[in-house]
Amino acid sequence: MNTGQPNWNRIALNLSTVLVRWLMGAVFLYTGLSKALHPVDFLKLVRQYDLVQSSLLLNSIAAGLPWFEIFCGLLLLAGVAVRGAALTLLLMLVPFTVLVFHRALAIQSALAIPFCAVKFDCGCGTGVVFICHKLLENFLLILMSGWLLAGYGRQFSLRFGLIKPHTQQG
Amino acid sequence: MAYLGLGIHVKDDPIQSMAPGRRFAVKCVLLEAAFVVVLGAVFAFAANQVSPRGLALMRNYFPEGTGRLVSATPPATLPSNATGTNSMPVNPAQLLAAELKEKGLQLADGSQAVRLFHDPRFKQDIVVFIDARDEQHYREGHIPGAYEFDPYRPEKYFGAVLPVCKAAEQIVVYCNGGDCDDSETAAILLRDVGIANQKLLVYGGGIMEWTTNGLPVETGGRNSGDLRNSSK
Repeated sequence: MNTGQPNWNRIALNLSTVLVRWLMGAVFLYTGLSKALHPVDFLKLVRQYDLVQSSLLLNSIAAGLPWFEIFCGLLLLAGVAVRGAALTLLLMLVPFTVLVFHRALAIQSALAIPFCAVKFDCGCGTGVVFICHKLLENFLLILMSGWLLAGYGRQFSLRFGLIKPHTQQG
Repeated sequence: MAYLGLGIHVKDDPIQSMAPGRRFAVKCVLLEAAFVVVLGAVFAFAANQVSPRGLALMRNYFPEGTGRLVSATPPATLPSNATGTNSMPVNPAQLLAAELKEKGLQLADGSQAVRLFHDPRFKQDIVVFIDARDEQHYREGHIPGAYEFDPYRPEKYFGAVLPVCKAAEQIVVYCNGGDCDDSETAAILLRDVGIANQKLLVYGGGIMEWTTNGLPVETGGRNSGDLRNSSK
């Protein structure tokens, strides 16, 4: 029975999801811009991970990734293809976090210091950071991506889903 | 479960085993993600192409021999201590000198850099200082009279720097100091375009050591006359 009362829990869930979407969008827009404005610095940081030997691949990663983050950030802020963007960011965040973690372990063993005392510029767009803060931040971003995937908070979206659902007959 | 023959049973495709509405939603998200990846990649490379700071994809920004930061093993020419072993700690300057020597370059220490800065030949461009940092850092403060040469945008600077380097007898290349290896990259680039190896000195302490020692820096362009003494 519809009591006519607003469902406050539902409203709170939707609004908090919109806020999470905007927060994630702003974070990726900021980190993407900070790298895109200094691509050579980012290139040098990517190179330190020793992921690829080919200069073309290395350049492509350093040239493309910051703008790709900006693109995803803009999609989230505008509310376009939200779940697709959230899934893409989730799939990027997980391997990046693993890479940063491995690099931090290598630095820790080289310097023989406590893990949380390790700080370096991971190329994440936030400069030199303590590894534990960075891992916590990435963990939160992964959680937020998962939250956005659930599909709540369609308010203030230009086009939340790109594909229209089927209309059921009968 | 699906039966594939040969007695092999595999789990159904997780998407296929879902309720139709849910299956459609998952497919929508996957399609959207694919759309985001493709369009995002196109956007990213187009933006890099248009950006004045964009990277040239085909260029090797790290010519052979550069890369002090990624080097994990000590160089073979590491100076030995009196007992002929490397068991004693070696100071960073010695380590850097050995690394540079392996690459055919020579290290200049702070006192040598200051001596060359005060050398009368410096005024005549017979001794030349090359700043291997980017434009923004250069403009914020460089060794007075130093030429700007960002090794990641060499085409922009070769025109001004190459004739000077060819005519010079001694070239001191520096960057930030510390972990920065852009001075090495710049020196190797200059060597690769025909500047004699023996002319090139890498000032390892860089601008950080220079300013820490309270030596003058020039802001803005070269010979702007806008000098300030860095605080000691």
